[in-house]
Amino acid sequence: MIFPMPKLIRHDYASFETLARLYEETKECALDDILLDMQATRWFDADMCAAFGAILYSLEKRLNEVNLTHLLPDIETILSKNGFLSHYGRVKIPDEWGTTIPYQRFDVKDDHYFASYIEDELIHRSEIPKMSPGLLKKFRESVFEIFSNAVLHSHTELGIFSCGQFFPRQNRLDFTVTDLGVTILENIKNYTQNEFSPEEAIVWATKEGHTTKRGNLPGGLGLKILCDFINLNGGCLQIVSDAGYWQLKDSKIVTKRLTYSFPGTIVSIEINTADTGVYVLTSELNAEDIF
Amino acid sequence: MSEDIKISVFGIVGSPLCVASSDGQKVYERLKTALETDRKIVLSFHNVTTLTSAFLNAAIGQLYGTFDEKQIRELLKVEDMEQDDLALLKRVVDNAKLYFKNQKRFDKVVEETQGNEDDESQSDTAGATQLHIER
Repeated sequence: MIFPMPKLIRHDYASFETLARLYEETKECALDDILLDMQATRWFDADMCAAFGAILYSLEKRLNEVNLTHLLPDIETILSKNGFLSHYGRVKIPDEWGTTIPYQRFDVKDDHYFASYIEDELIHRSEIPKMSPGLLKKFRESVFEIFSNAVLHSHTELGIFSCGQFFPRQNRLDFTVTDLGVTILENIKNYTQNEFSPEEAIVWATKEGHTTKRGNLPGGLGLKILCDFINLNGGCLQIVSDAGYWQLKDSKIVTKRLTYSFPGTIVSIEINTADTGVYVLTSELNAEDIF
Repeated sequence: MSEDIKISVFGIVGSPLCVASSDGQKVYERLKTALETDRKIVLSFHNVTTLTSAFLNAAIGQLYGTFDEKQIRELLKVEDMEQDDLALLKRVVDNAKLYFKNQKRFDKVVEETQGNEDDESQSDTAGATQLHIER
């Protein structure tokens, strides 16, 4: 089958909708040839490779042959630099400006590889702009919180996909993590036995102390910590899970429904790298008063 | 010679990045063994650069499911933590206390409702779950 890709792939509602539709239209395909026709595509946010790649990986898992055709040279270049197209027969080309954060797939047991990937590709690279030490620490914590969340809640066997891109002139860093596991809606419905809409489920999951974990391991802080950071930084956080879309920007939450369901969870962050705010506490904490 | 048991997080994890729940579990096992000796423990975060709530939930948060709050407060101390890491730990600890407090209430109601074999017990269980949601 041929799937025509749209003019723009950005990390926004419309493009998440496109990827959910791609999944919907191909979910029955097995041992098929799938052609992603990118003739009309004029822009591709590189971090969206995480979500796009996850769907294509699931197609290949069902022994479909996946190919991308008619890519504009600019798009082919960026997707070759971040290693995405290496999975589809192209050769990886050097990233001379160092603005890409490679496309990568991890198994849930790969926490340590993910940590090394973040350190090597984001923290210790000279091309990445200097962020204030406070911002860098918060950013680093945030991406690990996202990954841990996927590890702890998705129970995915297909893996966790990540990719990022830095835009020096816009002082912006985009980073997206995708899993094809149990969705937030499914986890919450199983836990509460109550009915939720897909977007209500995301709202529930982002509240402090809300967790679907049982047993001896507490949870329910990761997404709240991420939200707090994004609010201070002036960035943007988007979560897609099942047919739910949730966005936090300028301290405002917007939720929408996707026409089709995404078979997992996408967490996408946009960081303002020019943020010079000092991340300090309003009052001093004493180590004696923690427990 | 000090009676305190000193435990190094960096030593157990073997990395300054204390981010994985599975690594937190290793720290928990060590702390659990140490707390059972009833001696004072100093948990050092020297050389640790990055922490996540997932790591701290596993390493310290789950102690509240096994040990008494008073016992933990009397025996456990942390050192070499920056202020923002202390704030994260405090958040994890407060959350864990609430989690286990709610879990006891949840388990009690589930236990009670499991005694009822009729259809009513299902709706009771769903209602009890809401105790934990705090919507």
